[in-house]
Amino acid sequence: MQLIKAIIRPNKVDDVKEALEKIGVAGMTVTEVRGHGQQKGHTAVYRGKEYAVSLLPKMSIETVVADSVVEMAIKAIATAARTGEIGDGRVFVTPVAFSYKIRTGERES
Amino acid sequence: MRATTLWQRITTNFRDPDMRARVLALAGGKAIGLILLLTAMKIYLAPALFAQTPAPSGPSPEVNAINTSWTLIAAFLVFAMQVGFVMLEAGFARSRESINILVEGIVDTCICGVTFWAWGFAFMFEDGNGFIGKHGFFLKGLADTYGTTGVPLLAFWVFQFAFADTCSTVTSGAMVGRCGFIGDILYSIGVTGFIYPIIGHWAWGPDGWLNTLSTPFHDFAGSTVVHSIGGAISLTGAIALGPRLGRVFARDGGGPMLPHNIIMGAVGGLILWFGWYGFNPGSTLSALDAGGIGRVSFNTTLAACSAGLTSLFYIYFRVKKWDLGITTNGFLAGLVAITCPCYWVSPTGAFLIGVGAGLVVIWGIDALEYIRIDDPIGAVPVHLIAGIWGTLSLGLFATGAYGAPTATGADTSAGAIVKGLFYGGGWAQLKAQAIGSGSICLATLAVSFLLMYAVKATGTLRIGREGELEGLDIHEHGMFAYPEFATHPSSPLHGSPAPSGASAPAVAPAKARA
Repeated sequence: MQLIKAIIRPNKVDDVKEALEKIGVAGMTVTEVRGHGQQKGHTAVYRGKEYAVSLLPKMSIETVVADSVVEMAIKAIATAARTGEIGDGRVFVTPVAFSYKIRTGERES
Repeated sequence: MRATTLWQRITTNFRDPDMRARVLALAGGKAIGLILLLTAMKIYLAPALFAQTPAPSGPSPEVNAINTSWTLIAAFLVFAMQVGFVMLEAGFARSRESINILVEGIVDTCICGVTFWAWGFAFMFEDGNGFIGKHGFFLKGLADTYGTTGVPLLAFWVFQFAFADTCSTVTSGAMVGRCGFIGDILYSIGVTGFIYPIIGHWAWGPDGWLNTLSTPFHDFAGSTVVHSIGGAISLTGAIALGPRLGRVFARDGGGPMLPHNIIMGAVGGLILWFGWYGFNPGSTLSALDAGGIGRVSFNTTLAACSAGLTSLFYIYFRVKKWDLGITTNGFLAGLVAITCPCYWVSPTGAFLIGVGAGLVVIWGIDALEYIRIDDPIGAVPVHLIAGIWGTLSLGLFATGAYGAPTATGADTSAGAIVKGLFYGGGWAQLKAQAIGSGSICLATLAVSFLLMYAVKATGTLRIGREGELEGLDIHEHGMFAYPEFATHPSSPLHGSPAPSGASAPAVAPAKARA
């Protein structure tokens, strides 16, 4: 079982969600985050004065999938979130020791 | 057929004792109500309807009902500007100090009402000498109506209270984000109790010295009396307080601190514009001056429009963006500027006054940034600087067609007309405007420096470092404006350095990423 954490553009959330649902990934957690990788910040204006925004708004999608699904899920996320421009985001995969379902007490590993 | 069915239903139902009781109860209740209503009509309405002679009541001849209605409607519109002010200020501030802005706006209003009743009105609008009114404390011993307006004194008081409150709220604008609540209360009493009414008496008191110059100083609705005084006090407050922690100015490589809700700020600006239709046209104190209120409404509108456009395009050519914040400041500056001359200028004059206001407000914002004075919402450029421009502009643009307003219309006698430099009136009116604006601004700056540093000496003017970093809202008022959201006041976006040139700084790739 693996935790996939994808940092993507805010306007790609629906596409990624749809792509994951299509391959049968059941659940996910979506968080608003700010950060930067290689993408340059951009300039904004307030009351006639420019200022730099270096930490850009992104969305983080977390989902836990079975080992056999990981490659397919990464491919689905990457295809849906890609624009080819700097700032498309990243996908991180980490192993998960086990998961515990609160309602049923079911333990999965 | 249908009628017989109905009759059958009634007879069947009437035989049912339960149904019979219900119907009787219902009908009985209606009968009682009807009897009570008719009796009440007999007692209260019949005498009025059938009386042979009209009742000898009605307004005393010197009260003018239509002028009173107009003045009160205008007063309520001016009061609505409080909504605009708190929204503008709170929207342009950070979320951590927005409750503080609301509380201060409301409490300042309450303080203003009490002080203006107790002594402020007497200082400002009653006879005394050229510098201060001397009787009418607690509104006692005053005439039924104010001057020749035909407006009852208490109605006139409500209108003038709303003006005093506007001045008081303007004051807090440049002090947002670091002024303690007790300090705010202390200086507010000074502003609405003393500075505004006493200095305002010079221009608007019946025997004020600026009113009795050989060419009188004219300030129709208060570019100087309300806005310059408010803006000047605000400036001294901002200087006495110093900038907000973490505010780095443009020449030191910093940028502005960001607003938490610019939508709310701009909506507040539009509500202020709406309220201005009471502020300026209402200052005729007369609905009989139909030409006057029409002219003033028109000039107010046009100046706001031309000022908003001027600021919009000016900043577009500078940063290549259509900036909401500066456009809001721009049209407000146009409104402030037209407040003084709106009764005496032509449409062309109003348009040009607006253009001038749209420019000076941006130069004012630049100048404050350069001399490192932190004015979070632009109160000083909008109210003080545009107020000075508007006051002087009367000396340039007054057409000479109208004189001072009276209860029935403009005084157009030869000795009373107001004529500016551009219309062949010579320098006299411009000189009077310069004397009025200069003396009032300098006196206000001097007195309010004393006031602000006196409050500062009590240690209540600026809150402590911890309180400021934590935010005034939780520190002074024990509450967050948006308790359900995980917003953090020290967002990394606040006060980040401005980019040099057009391109944003490159961010180094994070090498540690796995």
